[in-house]
This record gives sequence, structure tokens and C-alpha cells, in this order.
Amino acid sequence: MLKKYEKVLKYRRLTNDYPFKPIDNTGYVGAPAILADKCQKCRICAQNCPAKAISIDNDGYPNVHIDQCIYCSLCADLCHAQAIFMTESFTDSTSNKANLLRKPMIIEQIPAVDTEALAEELKTKIQKTLRRSLQIREIDAGSCNGCDYEANALMNPLNDLERLGITFVASPRHADMLLVTGSVTRNMHRALLQAYEATPDPKIVVACGACALSGGIFRDSYATNNGVDSVIPVDMYIPGCPPRPPAIIYGILKAIDRIK
Amino acid sequence: MYDYKAHLAPSATLADEILKQLTKINEQTQTKTAVIRKNGNEIYLNTTTTNLRKFNMLLNHTHRLPLTNLFCNDEIAINGHFTLYYTYSHHLQNCHFIITVPITPEEPNFPSITKITPAADKYEREIRDLFALEPLEHPNPTDLIYHGNWQNHPPHLRKSVTDLSQPPLPEAKDVPEPALITIDSPDVYQIPVGPIHAGVIEPGHFRFTVAGEPIINLQTKMHYTHKGTEKLAEQMTIQQGFFLSERISGDETFANSFAYCLAAEKIAKAEVPLRAQHTRIILAELERIISHFGDLSGIAGDTANLFLASQFNMLRIMGYNLAHYLTNTRFLRSTNKLGGVRKDFLKGKEHGAVEQLKAIRREIIDTTEIAQNDTMFLDRLEHTGVLYAHTAYDLNATGIAGRASGLDYDVRKNHPYSVYDQFKFAAHHLDCGDVSCRFNVRLSEALSSVNLMLSVIDGLKDGEISVPLPDKLPPYEYAYGITEAARGENMHWLMVGENNTIYRYKVRTPSFCNWMAVPYAVNTNLVPDFPLINKSFNLSYSGNDL
Repeated sequence: MLKKYEKVLKYRRLTNDYPFKPIDNTGYVGAPAILADKCQKCRICAQNCPAKAISIDNDGYPNVHIDQCIYCSLCADLCHAQAIFMTESFTDSTSNKANLLRKPMIIEQIPAVDTEALAEELKTKIQKTLRRSLQIREIDAGSCNGCDYEANALMNPLNDLERLGITFVASPRHADMLLVTGSVTRNMHRALLQAYEATPDPKIVVACGACALSGGIFRDSYATNNGVDSVIPVDMYIPGCPPRPPAIIYGILKAIDRIK
Repeated sequence: MYDYKAHLAPSATLADEILKQLTKINEQTQTKTAVIRKNGNEIYLNTTTTNLRKFNMLLNHTHRLPLTNLFCNDEIAINGHFTLYYTYSHHLQNCHFIITVPITPEEPNFPSITKITPAADKYEREIRDLFALEPLEHPNPTDLIYHGNWQNHPPHLRKSVTDLSQPPLPEAKDVPEPALITIDSPDVYQIPVGPIHAGVIEPGHFRFTVAGEPIINLQTKMHYTHKGTEKLAEQMTIQQGFFLSERISGDETFANSFAYCLAAEKIAKAEVPLRAQHTRIILAELERIISHFGDLSGIAGDTANLFLASQFNMLRIMGYNLAHYLTNTRFLRSTNKLGGVRKDFLKGKEHGAVEQLKAIRREIIDTTEIAQNDTMFLDRLEHTGVLYAHTAYDLNATGIAGRASGLDYDVRKNHPYSVYDQFKFAAHHLDCGDVSCRFNVRLSEALSSVNLMLSVIDGLKDGEISVPLPDKLPPYEYAYGITEAARGENMHWLMVGENNTIYRYKVRTPSFCNWMAVPYAVNTNLVPDFPLINKSFNLSYSGNDL
């Protein structure tokens, strides 16, 4: 019994302060970036990409589709000219899928990673709109379970999403937000539609992970759809394979901002 | 007490002797036996559909070798027929008998062995769905993959099926009721659960048949996350297939990619450098402890012991932190590589890793003490969800599920791969098969994994971290890659095609076997105990559904 109290005293608080304070993102594997001045247009990256996330544009430059990218960093390894590198970004979530197409840039254009805390106004807005409560229903529509483990990790002592008033609920009928992972398999198609219909309005749908965004590596299979937005409308896209917990937190908070 | 040990002990007969007996069966029907020994411990031999049941009887019943895998390969382009591969593993002699049975396209059927060997049930139905080969006299020949939402779907894994487009989803009213047993009685009721569950977990449908409080029958309907992984692999190169193997099941990323690499390296006859082998063992064990902590935390959470749940959750976080410290990833994705590992992950980090591992070890020991002194907690675990040894054997329950039921079998010990045979580590097994046994086996296994990692780091030597594989692997060569994932024995069979592509990639994860065992463990328990029992097995849906 004493041992229990010893532990309680030893580990008082594990929770980090993100999103109220910046988070250390050193070493995060983020989306790849292509340097226009170094690229030799050899197309090796596009030919070898396992998720077919790199296309060649009219000028012969490779473009990365972050929504399909599985963050495997193979392109960065294969590039002879070192024109591709993996950023440390985890804040690529967006409501507009077109933002997820990355063209080659020169190094100055690559935006610095925004690890900063979310602004105070957003914080107040969240509290105002939701009165400190957002109920999320997580739906696995055919993922590899990586994203689901990361969604689970949002509730662990380190991230503890409940401190923001965000909870995961058991039924879509209690939910304000659907967090959907997976490419929507044929077998989950109807279940997802039914869950969407059961969620009361206003509702937001957040697609989480490469499969949910575009099908990812499972794109164009005989048994899946190509992403959640081919079945139900999506308000926020969180790229990653799987996205790290801070990336999911960022995406969820950004999605809340869209609630009118 | 029923002496299951005497009954279930695998035969001590030498592999050669068994081989002679098998050849004799073939001789009776004037079938020529060709024996191919490959890749160290794989013995391939052929038979016909006529002799198949006799082969199965001899291997599975007389010698008590479990059926560990069964799959079909469309070899019409190579030799004009389909081939069924029945794998029986001889755990005591470190070898696998792989019985190949040709099936001609003109006669698309084969004799079912499910009535004798229940473990074959799902494999045969899978072949029925994806190859349109009919298992004759199968006791339950129903759809496994598509739940009636794709009438007359093509046999997708046949090579002749190249049109991968889907028809529109039928109206809900046009989808037939699932082929599940209903009971018409005023005292018995059924509870349907899923596919979307209350927690943050993967989808699957459970139907409980309940009489009063206890569950008298549980039926599972899986394959909600069927993504067509095996067909996708056939459109990929060996290099690309590696990344697909990492995405078979999220938290078994490394075990799956490890198995894939082992298979490809056997085909290429590549010698992986020692430092890469050691790094792989460290990462594989790291993944194992992370998975175990997650499950232990789940068990504690499902008994409402939130202190223990947080404690194990904290250990899991420590595991993830170590993974991030070493590899910059949490799921160890893109750390493995064909022919070695991607980077020298331990260089200059040995000391830091040892410190973190020691902290984890201290915490495991303390937490074990707390858990084992909590009588209310233990009371909830003991005698809950018992999986009997003979059921575990019949269904080839593997990993923790098998070891907690008395099947003393661990791939790392019985069929050592990589350089596991160079290290001493404790293997654990218990006999009662209840949640408590699975909890304790997991806990001790996590501890011995930490110790194993420490001893590997201790003996780490400088050296190369990968060898390049040849640009083109020899076409139509094949090999097994078998690893012990956190959930159990993980078997990948790879056949190379022309131009370094994948011809066939068969994945059998431990979850595929263990899902068959869950309904047996649940019987006679209360419905509120189901989450606890399910958690103690900790199975992957994605790994089962592919």
C-alpha cells in the first residue's frame, strides 16, 4: 500500500503543456520538402515512392502530395542531389486539401515549424463555443490501427486531452466531432454513413492519417474507398502515418476554430 | 485432473522419420514425392487431394504438430494449377513441414480438413472467398470477407482478376442477414455489439448469446477492415512491399517488417551484418514491451484499477520515449530495411538507452509488486476467461494466449531467427489459461525483454549496419519469414515474381489464429467481463482482416 503512495508522490505530473506552451519537436519526422535549386529532375523519387505520393509536374519537377505521403522518408534517402529532406513539422493540418500539394521551393520559402502555443484568442474561443466540452467519437474505418493507438495516446497521462475539456464518447449520438481513421473499407462504408447520420448537427468530421486523407498506401485497392471524403464531407485533414499526438491535438483544435 | 500435457506434447519423432511415413502414404497411391529442403528449416513436399486428409491425420493427430498456416497460391502462370500450402510446424525439432497440394482450375475444390483440425476453418473460408476454390464438406461454408455486401464478387487473389473496380454498395435492405446463429427461446437473448465499438478500438462485430448473466455463445464477425493487402502487394516491387508490410498492423510494425525482411533475405541469401541483427533485436523487443504495457494498462483499466492503469500507461510512455530517443519514430516505422537497418540507431546512444531501460525495469518490478499485492484486482483476473490447453492447441492459439494456457512455445526459442539463439533470455508460460495467467506471462515477458535488450546493448560491436540486396531477386523463389510478434507467432510467406516484383505475399498474423480462441475463453463468463477477456488477448483486427 505504501508503495502506491510512494509512486503518487514520485510522479506528480507527467502531462505536457501543449497547446498552451510550445512543444519540443526535435527529431519529429514531418512532411518531405523538395528544394527547387538542387533538384535534378531525375524522377527517382517518383518512381520509387511506395504510396505513389510524388507526381511530376509540367516543368519536370516532383510534387509531393502530403495527403498520400506515408512519411517513410525513402525519397529523402534515394535522392542523390539531397534535394529532398524531411521537415520536422507536425502542424500541416488543413481544411483545404489543395494545401497538401507541395511544390519544390527554395529553402527560404519553407515555413518555419509553428510549435508555438495556440493563441489566447483561440483558447477563449474554444471555451466560448464549446463551454469547455467537445465530445469526439473516434471511428476506425479500416486503418492499420496506428492512428487509433495515437488517438488512444491522447488520453494517456502525457497528453491528457480531458484537461482541454475534450473527451472521447461511446456513441456518435453524443458526439460533436467524428475523428475518422482509415481509408473506409467496403465493409465499413455503411457503418460510417450510419454513424455520420446519427451524429447531431452541427458536427465536424476530422480525417486523421494518410489512409483517411486519400487511401494512403492502400489507395485503389479492390476493397477500399480512397479516403473519408469520398464517403462523407470532411472539415479537417490531419496528414501523417500515423500523425503524432501533438499533430492530432493541433488538428482537432484547428477544426474547432471552424465551428461557427 | 485431465492430463493435457501428456495428450498435447508434440511428438518427439525425428523429422526424417515423419518424412518417411509421409512418403509411404504417397507411395500407396503411386504419387511421386519430391522433397525440397529450403532456407534451413523449411521442408516442402507434395501430395494430392486424395492423400491430403491422411497427411493431416498423421501430422496433426498422430504426431500432434499444429497446423500453423494454410494458404493458396495461383501458380497457373508457372505450372498450370493452384497450389495449396499446408504448414505444420515441428516446434521441438525446429522445422516446418509444408505440404503442397495442386488444384487444377477445372476442378476448383479441395477436401476440407476443418472437422478434424478446427484451426483450418478460417483459412479454408478465406481461400473459398478469395480464390473461389470450394472446401468440400466444410461444416460452415459461409462468407468470411464480404458480409453479403458484394454479391458474386470476383475471386480477387486469382491472377486472372485484373479489374479491381467495385460495384456500388447495395441498399441496406438488399444485404442478407449475417449467417450467425439465432436462438429462439424466451430465456435466451442476444446482444449485438459493433462493428463500431464504444472505445477507441478497431471495428468488428460480436454477437453474444446470453442466458441470464453468463454468455453461452459468442460469435464474431471480422474482416471489417479488409483492405486487400495481399493483392496490393502483388502490384508492388520487393522494395515497396516492405512499406506495405509495415502497415499490416500499426503496433506490430517492426515484427511484420522483420518477418518480411527475413523472407526476402533468405531468398537473396544475404548475410545481414551482426550490428544490424543486434539493432533489430533491440527494436523488436522494444516494440514488444510497448505493446505489453498497453495491454497490461488495458487489463487494469477494465477492472477499474486506475492507479495500475496509469502506472502501465506511464511505462508505455517510457517505451515510446525510448523509441523516439533511438529512432525518432514512435511506431518504429522506416527503421528496418531489406538487408539491415536504416541507420545506426544505437551509435552514441548506448548509455542513454541503458539508463532508460534500467528505469523501465525498476518501474516494472515495483509495479509488479503493487499488482500482486492487490487482492481485489487479482480476484477479478483469476478464473476469468479460461482458455483450456486442448482448445488452445486445436485452434493453434499462439503467443501469450497459448503460453498462458500451457503451450510452451515461443518462436524465438523454438525456431530461432536472426541471432536470438546467441542470447539467454527467460521464456515464460503458465498453465491455467485465465486472464491472470495472461497478465502474469505478459508482465514477466516484458521484464525478460528488458533484460534481453540490456544484454544485447552490452555486447554491441561496431560494424556495418546493412548489406545491399541484389537488384533482382531470383524469380519464383520463395521463403518463410517467421517472427515472434508481441501477440505471437507471425508468419509471412513471400514468392518473388519477374523483375523483382512480389508474386505472392501471404501474411498470417498471430491475431488470425487467436481470434478463433476468444469465443471459447468467453463462454460462461459475464458480459461485463468480456472487455477484460478481450483485452487480455489484445488482438489486432487489422492484422486479422488484412
